[in-house]
Amino acid sequence: MTDMMIETRNLMKKYKGTRAVDALNLAIPQGEIYGFLGPNGAGKTTTIRMLLGLIKPDSGVVQIFGKDLRKDRLQILRRVGSLVEYPSYYGHLNAIENLETIRRILNVPKSRIHEVLATVGLTKDAKRVVKGYSLGMKQRLGIATALLGSPELLILDEPTNGLDPSGILEIRELIKKMPKEQGITVLVSSHLLSEVEQMASSVGIVNQGRMIFQDSMPNLQRKAGSEIYIALSDAEAGVVTARELGCFPRLDDGRLVFKGLDNGQIARLVAALVDARHSIYRVEERRKSLEDLFLTMTGSGGAETDISRIDAGHGAPRAVGLRREAAQ
Amino acid sequence: MIGSLLRADLLKMRRTGIWWVVFIGPIGLAAMQALNFGMRYDYLVRDQYAADPWAGLLHNTGLFVPIAIYLAMTLLMAMIANIENKQNSWKQTLALPVRRSAVFASKFLCCLIQLLVACVLLAISTAAVGLGLGFGTPIPYSDLLTLGLYPMLASLPMLGFMLWVTLTLRNQAIPISIGIAASLMSVFGASMPEIFPLAWPSLVVGGYKVMTFAGCGIALFAVLYLIGSIHFSRKDVA
Repeated sequence: MTDMMIETRNLMKKYKGTRAVDALNLAIPQGEIYGFLGPNGAGKTTTIRMLLGLIKPDSGVVQIFGKDLRKDRLQILRRVGSLVEYPSYYGHLNAIENLETIRRILNVPKSRIHEVLATVGLTKDAKRVVKGYSLGMKQRLGIATALLGSPELLILDEPTNGLDPSGILEIRELIKKMPKEQGITVLVSSHLLSEVEQMASSVGIVNQGRMIFQDSMPNLQRKAGSEIYIALSDAEAGVVTARELGCFPRLDDGRLVFKGLDNGQIARLVAALVDARHSIYRVEERRKSLEDLFLTMTGSGGAETDISRIDAGHGAPRAVGLRREAAQ
Repeated sequence: MIGSLLRADLLKMRRTGIWWVVFIGPIGLAAMQALNFGMRYDYLVRDQYAADPWAGLLHNTGLFVPIAIYLAMTLLMAMIANIENKQNSWKQTLALPVRRSAVFASKFLCCLIQLLVACVLLAISTAAVGLGLGFGTPIPYSDLLTLGLYPMLASLPMLGFMLWVTLTLRNQAIPISIGIAASLMSVFGASMPEIFPLAWPSLVVGGYKVMTFAGCGIALFAVLYLIGSIHFSRKDVA
């Protein structure tokens, strides 16, 4: 009926009266890297814990592989690998023993231990006690653990949290390989848009427990857009010059700010400004930050408007599919 | 499922020192009696217990068995729970395809196995002390084995309580404090009313209604185990 790996309907979880997660509809198609974005405390971890059956939703349904989590929890979890927030490990054991504790429960062949260690590049340190690992190595061991049961779905909560840039790069490359090499669908949460942008093929953004955007990555990038800042000697005279070219900038602290210019327009604009004897100090492109994006999204009417706009406007098949699902 | 969980749990205990507790406890008890009987050999063996020195040894060892068992249950359960609590590994363990009740059962079986090993070690080391002191044959095999076993059954409610509290609370200071307080109180168990579970191990050691109190221990344990298991299965894992 559907190729959704994860689907939630009206998921809700209350903590002491406040709704940590509210009316959340996740839809994650097969073979995607789904970036689950939101600021700290938006409800990402709570949602992920509900997906893994660690906490029970107050209302709503979780379906994974098209099965109801409440009814088929064990069957579902058998096919899911997870890493929730900080890595869980047994510090007094080495990497092989750590994996062996999980292997005995999953009942997979012993050779898998060496395979996953090789995948995350820990073969060399496999016999060292995990207590002495760096955070990056612990995080990679966590991913190895998640991969041990050859899952079809990988759920990673903030896998790059607290890592240094090279650690982040390693983990990112590892995650990007998953769908290509092993056909694994990945759900990865983060509070950094730039982070998710570099690996995800689709995104969901949550804020205050509500999904405010869910679509493919290119559509988000189109929405986020970018602005061109031009710093020059006389900004107000520059506005006049720009208007003659049909560009309508706003002024920001002695700089001209343009929205949605293409390369040709920028070239013509700069040439015109130089001709008009302006001294141009700086031309820079600024991407909207996640915070700005949140503000525009929440400011323009919240969840309902945004999702309906996605349905009508871009006509993204997955969003339409979701709507049809919900209507049934 | 419980089998593989248990094998995983036993592996997790490597290098944690848990087994040292299991070995040192009973051997320490026996060593204490070796010292007691060795130092006061003439008085104890030739005079007070001349008729049956084995019974004397068992009686003296038995006085310390209740407190030892309570301390062991507290310490072992705290250490077992600590393996998962330390790095909050519960979220990893419980996201595996396992029933929570089976995880709970496996932790219980770990502790039970360790307690039984301790009981056997107590029997062996006490027998060694008796033989070393030249008590000779016949060796009272069954009394040696039940020296730890019956008080252990009468102490089971403590294990049920510890199992519940250590596995559901992150702060282990609370269960450990309660456990130590109960251990100390158990010393005066024989002078407590019979209805009080802390009295049961001491009463059993004293040979008073042994089967009744062992049975009461098992029954109260079953209730606590059930409550703990249900709570553990339903609670949210942070």
